[in-house]
Amino acid sequence: MVKFLSEEWIQHSKKYMYEKLDPQKDLNNVTTSLLAVIEHVPPADTIMNFYLNIENGKIADFTVNTGNTCEKDATFVITGSYGTFRGILKGEMNMTIALLKNRLKLKGSKMQALKLMKPLDGIIESLRKITDEFEE
Amino acid sequence: MSSEKVLTVKKTSLDEAVAIAKKGTHCGMCRIDFLGTGLCPSGKKHGYLAYWPQGRMELVKHLKEGKIKPTEKLVEIANSCTLCGICDKQCNFTTQLRPEKVAKAIKEHVNNLDKSEIQSVPEDDMLRGLREIVGEQWATNDPNIIVSYTRSIIPPDSELKFYIVMPESTEQVSKIIKFANKNNLPYMARSGGTTFSVTASYVLTKALSLDHGIVIDLLRLKKLEIHPESSTAVVGAGITTFEIQKAAHKHNLRVLAAEAGAHYCSNIATTGIISTWGNKYGAFADNFIDVTQVDEEGTITKHSDAGIVNPYSAETGFANVTMTPSKIITEAVVKLHPIFDDEIAVFVPFTHLKDALSMLVKLGKRDVGLSLSILSAKYLAEFLSPTIQLSRDFEYICKHHLKLNWVVSVIGTKDDQKIVEEMAEYTMDQSLMKSLILGAPRFSALKDSEFLKILSEEDDPLKALFAGPMRKHLEKSLDPSPEQVAKVYDKDLQDFFKKLYTKPEMTNVVWLHAFRILPTRMLRQRMFSGPGGSIWSGDMDHVLNWIQMFADVGDKYGLEHSLGFITPLDHGNFVYMEYDYFFNHNDPEHGHKIGKAFIETTEQSYVMGKVITLMDYLFKGMYRKEHILYPIPKGISKEEQLMFKELLESTLGGEETW
Repeated sequence: MVKFLSEEWIQHSKKYMYEKLDPQKDLNNVTTSLLAVIEHVPPADTIMNFYLNIENGKIADFTVNTGNTCEKDATFVITGSYGTFRGILKGEMNMTIALLKNRLKLKGSKMQALKLMKPLDGIIESLRKITDEFEE
Repeated sequence: MSSEKVLTVKKTSLDEAVAIAKKGTHCGMCRIDFLGTGLCPSGKKHGYLAYWPQGRMELVKHLKEGKIKPTEKLVEIANSCTLCGICDKQCNFTTQLRPEKVAKAIKEHVNNLDKSEIQSVPEDDMLRGLREIVGEQWATNDPNIIVSYTRSIIPPDSELKFYIVMPESTEQVSKIIKFANKNNLPYMARSGGTTFSVTASYVLTKALSLDHGIVIDLLRLKKLEIHPESSTAVVGAGITTFEIQKAAHKHNLRVLAAEAGAHYCSNIATTGIISTWGNKYGAFADNFIDVTQVDEEGTITKHSDAGIVNPYSAETGFANVTMTPSKIITEAVVKLHPIFDDEIAVFVPFTHLKDALSMLVKLGKRDVGLSLSILSAKYLAEFLSPTIQLSRDFEYICKHHLKLNWVVSVIGTKDDQKIVEEMAEYTMDQSLMKSLILGAPRFSALKDSEFLKILSEEDDPLKALFAGPMRKHLEKSLDPSPEQVAKVYDKDLQDFFKKLYTKPEMTNVVWLHAFRILPTRMLRQRMFSGPGGSIWSGDMDHVLNWIQMFADVGDKYGLEHSLGFITPLDHGNFVYMEYDYFFNHNDPEHGHKIGKAFIETTEQSYVMGKVITLMDYLFKGMYRKEHILYPIPKGISKEEQLMFKELLESTLGGEETW
């Protein structure tokens, strides 16, 4: 168990997602790409980008970087604050509610994004299992 | 204090106060001066909801349950009430409740406390930061103040991890949002159009509420300017519909109005103000010239800013549903409309909805009248009757003796009246409505009387009553007078209500309707949920089937239900319909059923097509009506219906938590 967004957390997340996620059961054999932009990351109020490429339910690419830009093109871009992602990781709110409440901003087809919510819940669930510390 | 007052002061237990508080429905009428009594001095001075009768209702419940500890602010809240009795008059008019007893109970509770029990709440870094923005007085983390926002923006049974902050300017709102973002705190604006004060405490609560963070109470944004030369008004987010209407009225102007106690800017943000005056005055973006708003980054923009991205366009359909206003409107420049010298109200009674609907759409398409609607007998009974029991008897008489199930209500000029009277065989005029207001107790007492039994045996009782000599007998038997209607109120309030009902406006249907005073009676001591939406008016059978669907769902869940009102929009091309489900808001099982009914009717509406549901409207009030109402939607496919269910499940955590 590690701190959300730490180097260690990123390594654990990659390993867990590559090894433990079931393409059919957890990810519905989906093919898509997603860029999650996390704003206001403490303590330095920075931005972190998480790029995830899934092919037929298998994680094909998981890249993390810091800064205002990410070179990868994604079908969906979801932007939200550290507080929002923290709430999602803690299970206080799910992705769909965060989208409906404008806590997350989406670029891409909303209808297609809604279809992705179940597989994404699988990923969130797996990340929740390895995360136990947050900046409050 | 007068000797009479002293006699009436007796101890009120917390139990008695809680019993009153549980019947409160957050109608907010204690925060507007709609009876000419003045405002609650405590609320006016201190601002926070806890200092108003409405907020004390929540406070006393939490005190009784031991969920909050006494603090210095609790002592201040208790002592700030002067027991002036204004709240009793206001609340009694709409709900028959006596909130002053709640204030007394809190006072007595505080007086019985030992000083050592009273805690002070320490200031933390977040509060310090907020106070730097708004001043020490206007930001708090005191639980006794926080709880007063329960069911008003904070969901019931929340942990009290909130800050309440009351900015006085758009710039302060901007700074608060930037501060919230920097510190990763969620926020939501009260008076920001969240709809949380009504059924959102029971329906879609998780999605609509604030779980923790900063409540930005906009009450102090009190700017209000009337510009008669341009027929516009500048209105701050803390101004209620009643307040702007009152100010405009002095200039012989009026604003398109929804709920009297609601804040005008919040109504724009929520649904763009859906009102029976909408066919004439417009809907959505028709209502304003400009808005000042603060976005989620704290950036202040105006619609009139050059180079702004098109702010009027929105997509509907369930994939585009949103559960919160995208921006906080802090100020709006809104349109005002002329009041004509010859305005009148005329009502056409109907037995069958189809006939009423046919007339309404014809009037809408011809742009007749200023306000047009169909009201159900239930609505009429609730509006005109001063007490719950009288409203029940009133409705019974309408339905069972008179076969009066619907009225087409028209407010317009004498020219409009002429057109309506040519279309209808018989009408109810203002004089009769005045008699029904002042003679409501006598009218209700006629239930099962010989007079009404004879009348009900007529082939067409409505015609016999309204177009024949029996009308004179009815009016005479009502013996309408302020004295008579005042008798139904508590003895100590009767003199007040006798004087009140001598005021011309209190029996003037046009005034009452424009100021939206009477609809609040729908919220007396129990809650209602009003799903519905707009439907294309070109297929009358489809409209009637849609309305029947709401009735069937109400029956399915065993709910008290009734069509509320229908009004045309966009020159009669659409009709907006509100269907009401009533429920006991203290019974979780009822709340659960309301949630299910809301979801099911929404889903069925999507399936039926040609309907723009309430979910499609919510929080899209700033967009053009053309983008909301058009293109007229087709029914959704089976696959989309499944997705809708998945969306709900994902949003709400499964059917059992609806």
